[in-house]
Amino acid sequence: MHIDILKALAQAAIDRQRDWIINIAEEILRTPETGFNEIRTSQVISRRLDEIGVRHTQNIAITGLKGVVRGGNSGPTVAVIGEMDSVRVLGHPHSDPVTGAAHACGHNCQPAVMLGAAVGLMAPEVLRELSGAIALMGVPAEEFIDVEQRLALYRQGRLGFMSGKQEMIRLGAFDDVDMALLVHTSASPDDTRFTVGGTSNGHVVKYVKYIGKASHAGVAPHLGVNALQAAMVGLHAVNTQRETFRDDDVVRLHGILTTAGVSTNSTPADVRYEGRVRGATVEAIADAGAKVDRCLKAGALALGAKVEIVTIPGYLPMLSNDPLATVFAENAGRLVGKSRLAWLSSDAVRGGGSTDMGDLSHIMPVIHPYSSGFAGNGHGDDYVVQDYEQAVITPAKVVAMTLIDLLSENAAKAREVVSRTRPRMTRPQYIALQQGRLKEEYYVGQ
Amino acid sequence: MARMNVAEIKAAVVAEIDRRGDEAVKLAKEILANPEGGFREHKTSRRVAEKFRELGIPFQDGIAITGLKGMLNAESSGPTVGVMGELDSLYVLGHPHADPTTSAAHACGHHAQIGSMVAAGIGLKAAGVLESLSGRVALMAAPAEEYVEIEYRNELRKKGKVEFLGGKPEFIRTGALDDVDIAMMTHTEPPLHGEGKKLAIGATNTGMVAKFVQFQGKAAHAGGHPHLGINALNAANIALMAIHAQRETFRDEDTVRVHPIITRGGASVNSVPADVRMETFVRAKTIDAYLAANRKIDRALRAGAMAVGGSVTITTLPGYIPLNQDRNLQGIYEANAVNLVGSEGVAHMGHRTGSTDMGDVCQIMPAIHPYVIAATGVGHGNDYLVADYELGVKTAGKAMALTVVDLLADGARKAKEVKKSFKAPMTKAEYLAFMRSLVREETFTE
Repeated sequence: MHIDILKALAQAAIDRQRDWIINIAEEILRTPETGFNEIRTSQVISRRLDEIGVRHTQNIAITGLKGVVRGGNSGPTVAVIGEMDSVRVLGHPHSDPVTGAAHACGHNCQPAVMLGAAVGLMAPEVLRELSGAIALMGVPAEEFIDVEQRLALYRQGRLGFMSGKQEMIRLGAFDDVDMALLVHTSASPDDTRFTVGGTSNGHVVKYVKYIGKASHAGVAPHLGVNALQAAMVGLHAVNTQRETFRDDDVVRLHGILTTAGVSTNSTPADVRYEGRVRGATVEAIADAGAKVDRCLKAGALALGAKVEIVTIPGYLPMLSNDPLATVFAENAGRLVGKSRLAWLSSDAVRGGGSTDMGDLSHIMPVIHPYSSGFAGNGHGDDYVVQDYEQAVITPAKVVAMTLIDLLSENAAKAREVVSRTRPRMTRPQYIALQQGRLKEEYYVGQ
Repeated sequence: MARMNVAEIKAAVVAEIDRRGDEAVKLAKEILANPEGGFREHKTSRRVAEKFRELGIPFQDGIAITGLKGMLNAESSGPTVGVMGELDSLYVLGHPHADPTTSAAHACGHHAQIGSMVAAGIGLKAAGVLESLSGRVALMAAPAEEYVEIEYRNELRKKGKVEFLGGKPEFIRTGALDDVDIAMMTHTEPPLHGEGKKLAIGATNTGMVAKFVQFQGKAAHAGGHPHLGINALNAANIALMAIHAQRETFRDEDTVRVHPIITRGGASVNSVPADVRMETFVRAKTIDAYLAANRKIDRALRAGAMAVGGSVTITTLPGYIPLNQDRNLQGIYEANAVNLVGSEGVAHMGHRTGSTDMGDVCQIMPAIHPYVIAATGVGHGNDYLVADYELGVKTAGKAMALTVVDLLADGARKAKEVKKSFKAPMTKAEYLAFMRSLVREETFTE
């Protein structure tokens, strides 16, 4: 059957299930859960997979899922990923009143796009024409937050890596996958409907604990060692480093104090900071990370406090796969018009954020395009869906069409993508690299 | 001439100061008009020398560079009482009597001290007085009481011109006080709480160490290549913040004072500052307290350098010892003060948080450092003026001269008693060893 007919059939199937698909995004929006806590979200996806008859494995990397749909013939496997987790943003209109969790990054739409694409591809006339498999993967914990809890899971042996894709790579969930994609939502300042290409920052995560000495803060402050002062000096010092970062390196240093004292009348003796060191290259991250460490230790030195710095392997910069992106862009252009596509060069860091799709992109061809359809500021309290058609239905169609291109005609295009791509590293090399980035340091200021 | 009794001697002393005291006032005003910073008081020293010559007082000059010591009754074998004055000015921009070139200004009233010292000398040289006393009087003009220009004085130290950076420590070291048994000096002061006070006794003062700090960074174009520089000004900035973070650990009773200035903050605004210098004192009421605070300050300074990846050279120099005046000597002075200004005119002072090298003198001999309330404005401010020269020079001179009379009359009985009951906190050798133990020059790169 002609490829265009296959695409038309897939689109028609998606349109028929429009409400069912959008309902997934709405349902997940109402039950926001942070990374590795996506119990209900995972159940929603599992039920929906059941409804379309996709057998799947659950509880991969705690809450992840994976179902594989096979085409009429054998061939490469393309993963369509849906991230499941939310961030925490206080005051977001859809935030959970107890946890503050909120889909202020639009991940709720991703499983809907994934399942919507599956609906299109599983139209019987379509599926039998495909040579290869579609891996539908619900992936936890893309937002690298709640560092202390994740570090505890790591220390308990329940996690080997502290983000969803990292952990699913480690567990082998991507071993049978040849290439992967997801569509992330965005708020577009203009008429742009899809953005492809570009790269993202990589990062490392800092879990920092200042240890001082408690004392009555009014009666005997001279007997205390103020860990909050140590943290403030350390963070002030971090700020002074900003002028030393090159614009090209897109360095971002930011973090939150998660514990800053227990009683106002007791010298803070246990102050904790979760921080992020982002940069466009591994070298830039290492340079900025060393400066941050130096500054954090200086805080401890100044006050005679102690500081524990755990450096946790964060994300690698995104390597967007051009051949794969080209296929996606052609299909997106067909649906929304080429003038509504933005194509970023491979060294253009989009924003300054990071994603663990960057990690996956180091071991296989990956794209991480953005769809519009949202309004507001990502991770802000005003980031909300504006248009489910553009945020979910159109992306589902573009994904389905992209996979039809890749896997029809004996998967010639998918095989071409694979043959034209030389991944930076193998899975064992990736695991060794990331495990090697984990560092624990204990510094006594005196 | 027959020996006079104490009342007669005192009457002669007072009459002589009333008769010739204007000479001392004139000298004070000349010095006011020619202010010079410590160890630079060459003109001031020459003026004092001229005055000694006029009065027929044999003297030595060039002690501790610019200091002088005149001797009355040199042939006497009795105890020696030192009456002191200070030669140096401060530097205060905008003071009405500031030197337009150097901004040196007598904003601490030292010119009046030379006046009161000379007034005392005039009184004691009244006919028949010295013959009636059993001991010698040393009129000592000491340089450099204000511990400023640390970098300049440190150079003098390195060239071997001085060992300590204050005038009286140098007087002690060079032996100028070896033949002095008891010392006193009167400092001017603006009005205290409580009206009508003219002379004030009993104060204690903080002691201190002085620090000269050099942060070393690396110059680079501040716009073009800030990432290639190491910002020493940022190091200093972090260190200052870190110093402030220590303040809550200082006990009220220790009256710790740390008040740095930046003496060099960079060379050009478009070059990353690579050489930034600070001076500070670390003061406290007790030696232990300022040494403990000093350790915290060192930590903070090191933290600044550490944070930016630079280095810091910390030169710690002995400053002054906390002032503890001799009670017995003070009792004698107080009786004379009451006779001169009435009991309602005599104030008892508490602890003060400045420092003076009379504190050092007090370590090795009984000494007092009363204040004369003859000034207006804020000490070390641009409005500090000696307003009442009658009081500040003549009355202050009388009070000291009369105290000398009490000490040395009657076979110097009281001087011997004061000496005998004095328990020296340190011998001269111990004092010098302690001062030398404080000297440190260390470079930290961490």
